[in-house]
Amino acid sequence: MEAVKINEIHRNELPFLIEIDESKCIQCGRCSAVCSFNAIKPAVELRKSGSIKNDEKVKKVLVIKQNVSLDNYCRGCAMCANVCPNNAIRIIRNKEDKYSTIYRAKHADSFKKGGRSNLNTEGRTLDKIKIGRISQMTDPSLDATRHTFELKTPFGRVLSADKLDFEVREGKVVQKHTLPPNRWIYPIIFGDMSIGAVSWRMWEAMAIATAYLNEVEGIPIRMCTGEGGIPTRLLKSRYVKYMILQIASGHFGWNRIIKTIPSMIEDPAGILIKIGQGAKPGDGGLLMASKVTRYVQEIRGVPKADLLSPPTHQGLYSIEESVQKMFLSMNAAFQFRVPVAIKVAASTTSVSVYNNLLRDPYNIVGGFFIDGLAGGTGAAHEISLNHTGHPITSKLRDCYLAAVHQGRQGEIPLFAGGGLGYTGNFAADAFKLICLGANGVFTGRMLLEIAGCVGNDIGKCNACNTGCCPSGIATQDIRLVKRLDVDKVAQNLVNYILATNIELKKLMAPIGCSTLPVGRSDALITVDKHIANRLDIQYSC
Amino acid sequence: MKTCTIETLNNNERMSTQELLQLINEKVSKGYDNFIINACGQHDIGCALFNNKKINLKIKNPGQRVGAMGLEGTTITVLGSTPADVGWLNSGAVITVLGDAGDTAAHCAAGGKIFVAGRVGARSGALMKHDPKYEEPQLWVLKNTGSFSFEFMGGGVAVVCGYDCSQSVLSNHACEGMVGGVIYARGKIEGLSSCVEIKKLDKNDEEFLIKGLEVFLDKIDKKEIKGELSKFSQWKKIVPKNKANEKEKITLSEFKKKHWFNNGLFSDLIEDDFCVYSLCEGGSAKLRKPLWDKKLCVKCDLCLNNCPYRAINKENNNYLSDDKKCIGCGICAAVCPKKAWNMEDNRKG
Amino acid sequence: MCRIGAIKSKNKIHPSLALKLMRSQQEGHDDSGFAFIMQDLGGLFENYKDLPLLSMAATIEGTRIVEDILQQIGFSRVMQWSVDINNKENLKIDAMPNYIFEVLQYPKSYKHATKEEKEELLIDTSLRIRQALDNTSSGFIYSFWPDTLTLKEIGSPKDIGTYFNLWEGNKDLVSSIITAQCRQNTNYDIVRYAAHPFFLEGYCGLVNGENTFFEKNKNYQKKLYKGYFGFESDSQCLLYTLHYVHKILGWPIQYFKHVITPLDYEQIITRKDSDVLLRIKAGLSSLEINGPNTFLGVTPKKELICVCDSKKLRPVVIGRDDNTVVMTSEVSGINDILPNRNKEEDIYPKENELILIKDDLAVEVWKQ
Repeated sequence: MEAVKINEIHRNELPFLIEIDESKCIQCGRCSAVCSFNAIKPAVELRKSGSIKNDEKVKKVLVIKQNVSLDNYCRGCAMCANVCPNNAIRIIRNKEDKYSTIYRAKHADSFKKGGRSNLNTEGRTLDKIKIGRISQMTDPSLDATRHTFELKTPFGRVLSADKLDFEVREGKVVQKHTLPPNRWIYPIIFGDMSIGAVSWRMWEAMAIATAYLNEVEGIPIRMCTGEGGIPTRLLKSRYVKYMILQIASGHFGWNRIIKTIPSMIEDPAGILIKIGQGAKPGDGGLLMASKVTRYVQEIRGVPKADLLSPPTHQGLYSIEESVQKMFLSMNAAFQFRVPVAIKVAASTTSVSVYNNLLRDPYNIVGGFFIDGLAGGTGAAHEISLNHTGHPITSKLRDCYLAAVHQGRQGEIPLFAGGGLGYTGNFAADAFKLICLGANGVFTGRMLLEIAGCVGNDIGKCNACNTGCCPSGIATQDIRLVKRLDVDKVAQNLVNYILATNIELKKLMAPIGCSTLPVGRSDALITVDKHIANRLDIQYSC
Repeated sequence: MKTCTIETLNNNERMSTQELLQLINEKVSKGYDNFIINACGQHDIGCALFNNKKINLKIKNPGQRVGAMGLEGTTITVLGSTPADVGWLNSGAVITVLGDAGDTAAHCAAGGKIFVAGRVGARSGALMKHDPKYEEPQLWVLKNTGSFSFEFMGGGVAVVCGYDCSQSVLSNHACEGMVGGVIYARGKIEGLSSCVEIKKLDKNDEEFLIKGLEVFLDKIDKKEIKGELSKFSQWKKIVPKNKANEKEKITLSEFKKKHWFNNGLFSDLIEDDFCVYSLCEGGSAKLRKPLWDKKLCVKCDLCLNNCPYRAINKENNNYLSDDKKCIGCGICAAVCPKKAWNMEDNRKG
Repeated sequence: MCRIGAIKSKNKIHPSLALKLMRSQQEGHDDSGFAFIMQDLGGLFENYKDLPLLSMAATIEGTRIVEDILQQIGFSRVMQWSVDINNKENLKIDAMPNYIFEVLQYPKSYKHATKEEKEELLIDTSLRIRQALDNTSSGFIYSFWPDTLTLKEIGSPKDIGTYFNLWEGNKDLVSSIITAQCRQNTNYDIVRYAAHPFFLEGYCGLVNGENTFFEKNKNYQKKLYKGYFGFESDSQCLLYTLHYVHKILGWPIQYFKHVITPLDYEQIITRKDSDVLLRIKAGLSSLEINGPNTFLGVTPKKELICVCDSKKLRPVVIGRDDNTVVMTSEVSGINDILPNRNKEEDIYPKENELILIKDDLAVEVWKQ
């Protein structure tokens, strides 16, 4: 029998309780074999049988038990329950959970996790908004399946008509100067998840889905690479034109990208400078040495070590410097042919930043990505994940209205992300944000969910930081990665976007819009007065 | 035949649509069956008239929806051009427009015939349908249609003769969402929806056109151009695409095979055979593997007897775990009284 | 829906023609109002073409307020036309106490002013008058511009015609261009300012439509130019866009179509001018319209234009003879005023066309 010590952790202090119905369990061991956290195991227990006084006997029995351990504890992923042939296992969220407190007391270190913010205190603004301006007699609704719609949005610096400085020659408007790069893309961007943060199979599945959607389905979706380098062969292929290359503070892989520029046959879709991430704003990235496998080293151009992206780009101490150093240099690297955008964590300061960028006298700011607090992450300190950040909806709206105030809406396209699809309908969230002023949205979490991520926003799994991802998504452990089926994931991603495409049309049609309703806040209503006031949309009851 | 002439304008006083239609009804009930109406844009003239007899109307300058919901036995001639919605939901009337018809001519027409001596506007023929219990509706147009014509068409026959028309006879975006019916068109056709296909005329089509043109040209008094319109090589037939014949898109796995990187994007960096492990599998898929320590073992066979996969073999007093069979559940280690089995990480390297 | 019309003639024409044009289209509107703008005036106004003409309706107080403002700025009255009112009983009209149509002389200090300076003065004065009238709810200013006369009233078009004695033609109140609307405002308050035609600096516009990008258009236009104000109707946005594209940007009028209904990306990339068109599509995306709209307009060069939304969801037809061109919602109106024209020459504008009627009545059909 194991000794129970005070100050070690007890079973009822763990985040999840694994309950085994012994009457159903056949001790097949599948549960313990599948558990990547080593949190469930076979054990021998003593049982009494017979009556108490007369023929008391003690016998040993084989049982399946939860591991009570600070290191190997249940994350609630429920893979054990999934593989149990007899439905003998139940995972119960433990209300008495004290794990993180005990962890801090033991390790003198902050508690870390992956996944999503779990406090959920802000509620879901987007769910309180409906599309309420329906074309009924004033103008015709459209037929979502049979009419034609255009779901494309500009990406890259948009110049207002006066700044285009066109001249009129022989009755035609003609371009006088070279203008900043501007592309038309699908309003959904596959969010930035790096090679390293996710497995090679996951990353490849996203890349294939992107290529297939573009080349076969005609949906010009773009994928942001995340900052973990990009395989050189991809850079040299035609598919790079669907890729938005990310540069974050670690600049991982970028010397290799730069060296490859001369042999690239296509320009990349864009560059995304990552300043911050909604899930852990003001915090940098960390790829644990254990995830820095050989191929990750090769792609990122680094030795095997903890890879830190600091919370700041060293050398950027002001907005002006950021613009000069990052925007100008990135524009220069691709000879001003590729749109350069920036991604920040939503913050009370986002509007000031956006206002500054809007001035953009050099026409080098190609997009503003705002990431709200409900976004996901590969690894973060729980305190950042749960207690920092800003919801996306009002921030996106503020930025759009700030641009409207200056008469500059649309000049620097706005992209919003962070927890989209949280309550199940990604298309609805995307559409509402577009009506509130976004040119498009980006998502990582939906991709993970489609790929088979078992986590959720109330604490299930959320162990991306451990490298033990039971679905083979956020891990470099080949045994786990091989659980992921590249073709199936790619197919599911493709299917999901096709479904989303239909659903976006199903929302455009009733408001009579054949092109994206960017900024059409008149189409939205809310039953919440505060939201109505804050977002400047119609209150309805 | 009992004739009634109606003037709808008296100085600046215009008879409203309601007044006019009620007057017509009143006259019909009194046995009038031949009307000459000098209209001033009144709507719905000729709408659902019924007296067990044939009713004729000659109308000058009507408003929208001439002959809307027209019934069998009603014959309408418009002396000139007319605004939108001619023959909307036509259920049997024969309507002739001796000029142009506006937008949405024959919209939802389900019966009868509409003859137009000029052009028809946008979305004409939209949602025409065929009720199998009755004869299918027909729309005959001498010149051309506006854009978005035959949108969502579900049945019936439309004939667009392309007379005096150098541009696309169906303008742009014709036949969006068309699911049934036939369109015969003569001349240049551009910008057709991808949901329809163009076919050549067969004998039956030609016969239909020969017969129909005779009636149509007679109605619009243009018999002299019959020869010009009867060169059937200039005609085409448009029908909804047969979905079964449509070429399937290349599948994702074909795409991967044909266009993607050989052996995968990362194959130059990492070995991956792309096999997919099921969640509990032996061999290298398992997360943990049992290791046996000969020194500790008391040969009680508990491991051997409790292994659910019969992965443990005893040979010459040595216990061996069959790597293929073992999924790494750890039961051998759990039941061993001497801790002779230990679970080790199965990571390679 | 409402019904709109535009007539341009080599002869000077009287508003009675507009009333007759709209008469047969009555069931297409709700009999709730009638408004028209006359440009390129003749008759009484023939000799004052360079001087600003003020058109307004006001209470007695409003009239006084406006006179004070004009006097203060230094305008002086040159000529006033008093409307002959026929106040029969039972007319369906919601009339204002005063209707003012007066020709004014620019302030003395503007003797050597440029055309631009004078135009600026007129737009500033209009804004000031409007503000003053709004503040006191004492009236409406419709136009203050040379060679332009506007009347808007609430009521039955037929009775409005009777009230202002417009059914009988005469040679005093005539012009070569008349644009008119019989109104049905589905979405907004019935206010006089919401009645088409709208006018700004020689540009005139009227729409049969529902611009579902009103919010976007309005938000953008508010910051573009001081003359873009009011926004009582989503249709004003189309006039302002025409003014912006044609006057402020100085682009050929065809680009108005590219701005309000840009081609699809897939269509644009096949064209030689794709660079320019994509920039316009992106840069002026806030001025795109959506929903059903037919726009009729007049430019300062006395040209008429007609464009439709990209799905061609509202009716319009253009008929003409040697002396007159008529654009209107329904052909029945044209049949009434040009019965003897060659109907085969009627034009049914398409979703991708812009029809331009030059000052000499030459017709240009421009494909997008």
